[in-house]
Amino acid sequence: MSVADRRKDHPLIDTTEPNLLEETFDYSLPPLIKFDGPMVETIDGEQITFDPNAAVKRDIHITDTTFRDGQQARPPYSIDQMVHIFDLMAKLGGPQGVIRQTEFFLYTKNDRETLDRCRDLGHDFPECTGWIRAVKGDFRLVKEAGLKETGMLTSCSDYHIFNKLKFKSRQECMDSYCEVVDAAFEAGIRPRCHLEDITRADWDGFVMPFVDRLMRMSEQVADELSVKIRICDTMGFGLHYPGVELPRSVPKMVYKLNQECGVPSSRLEWHGHNDFHRVHANGATAWLYGCDALNGTLFGFGERTGNPPIEGAIMEYIALKGSLCGIQTEVITELAEYMRSIGLPIPENYPFVGKHFNTTRAGIHAGGLRSDERIYNICDTTALLGRPPRVALTDKSGADGVALWVNDFFGLKGDERISKIKVHKLARWVMDQYEVEGRMTAISDEELEQKTEELMPVYWEKFKGVAV
Amino acid sequence: MPSVQDRVVAVTARVLQLDESEIKLEQNFSADLGAESVQSIELVANFEEEFGIEMEEDAALSVDTVASAVEFITKVCEEQGVAV
Repeated sequence: MSVADRRKDHPLIDTTEPNLLEETFDYSLPPLIKFDGPMVETIDGEQITFDPNAAVKRDIHITDTTFRDGQQARPPYSIDQMVHIFDLMAKLGGPQGVIRQTEFFLYTKNDRETLDRCRDLGHDFPECTGWIRAVKGDFRLVKEAGLKETGMLTSCSDYHIFNKLKFKSRQECMDSYCEVVDAAFEAGIRPRCHLEDITRADWDGFVMPFVDRLMRMSEQVADELSVKIRICDTMGFGLHYPGVELPRSVPKMVYKLNQECGVPSSRLEWHGHNDFHRVHANGATAWLYGCDALNGTLFGFGERTGNPPIEGAIMEYIALKGSLCGIQTEVITELAEYMRSIGLPIPENYPFVGKHFNTTRAGIHAGGLRSDERIYNICDTTALLGRPPRVALTDKSGADGVALWVNDFFGLKGDERISKIKVHKLARWVMDQYEVEGRMTAISDEELEQKTEELMPVYWEKFKGVAV
Repeated sequence: MPSVQDRVVAVTARVLQLDESEIKLEQNFSADLGAESVQSIELVANFEEEFGIEMEEDAALSVDTVASAVEFITKVCEEQGVAV
């Protein structure tokens, strides 16, 4: 069919009442993610359909690696810091365990004390798990710590098998990994095999034969010991859109493991990296194609470019499920403030928690915010994150921006709000900063407070209660 | 007492830094007299101060020519009992 044949008429549906699409953009939640058809992927020449609505009904959840991968990207946290972060993470994920697990190193005295103190808090979630090398002796540490599950490195690209780990053959490598898995079973510990560098691995030649073997081994043990598979996009090479070939296709990787190797969704986990800015989209895609667990770190801190940001996964989860599911979103802000206080920088434009994530600078946007905050705010960030939308004043802010700042500063709502006519002296001062003084930076809140007191003394006295 | 028109022209000249003789009734504040965004707000604020009236923001800012400003301000003064 030609383009001309596909052309349709699209007559205007005139109305005098706005259609704000509130079933999707209901403002009290992040915009809901809705599907109006299946997702289709061609795999080995066959068109496979995936039902995203069925995926959303699965027990999808988030797992955390802030204390493992996250800590590899920064100086070590103190024990007190980790215990506090763990406590806040438990509150964030809520009683339904949306943040289901978190993993700990087990090698030092501090590692083990941290684990004990986190468990002493008595939270049901996140469950504490371990992380060890693929070394049989390390299971002693897991067992002594009383953990039921541990992650272990089972790198699967030839870059790692031959060039890093120096195995002489894939068979030798696979046998070595499986010996360690057997050791886990013998110790009564569930192994979670971290298939490192999977997006650069030979799927037909190693990944699927190895996972087939792991599934056969799992059939010989109790369900609670059966192997979990962590799909590790170690270098961030994964791609989420359809039509991409293996080993980079997220949909095909999840499908092959889930349907062809028989790994249940409940035992599949995605772990990504952000080297190509794809980290969140890839993780959410893994959820939709059959992987229940999305592994991430708070604010995406992790090796090199980082991991899927947990707060992003939280928002995606709410948008997919259509409700908060016990999540306390305001804890995201508390965690960000705590991270800043212990020296972790968060860029000002970083979504949900950056200083200016919902700050508008353009006057025409400020005018929109002034009349209806939904026009330029993503959702009710005041209720969800304790962060009302704000304006930062520059030469682009105009009188609308100045009026919005003044009203927010005085805390005025509805008919109480001061019109932009009444802020004209402050608006003139702002403009002169750029046009007369040649200023090149935004104006700080402190400067504006001082000028508001000076140029709007009547309002200052009325709303700040200070005689002038 | 100067007329409404004289007072409007005087305020306009002062805010836009023009000579009163340059201002004609049919001129548009922004297109002809060069009023920029903040200056439009300043004009309305100064008209309020000059006449001792309160003007509704959107209505006042939609006034585009000197003549319509004279007409609008005269009407507001009448409504608010301000002698002009």
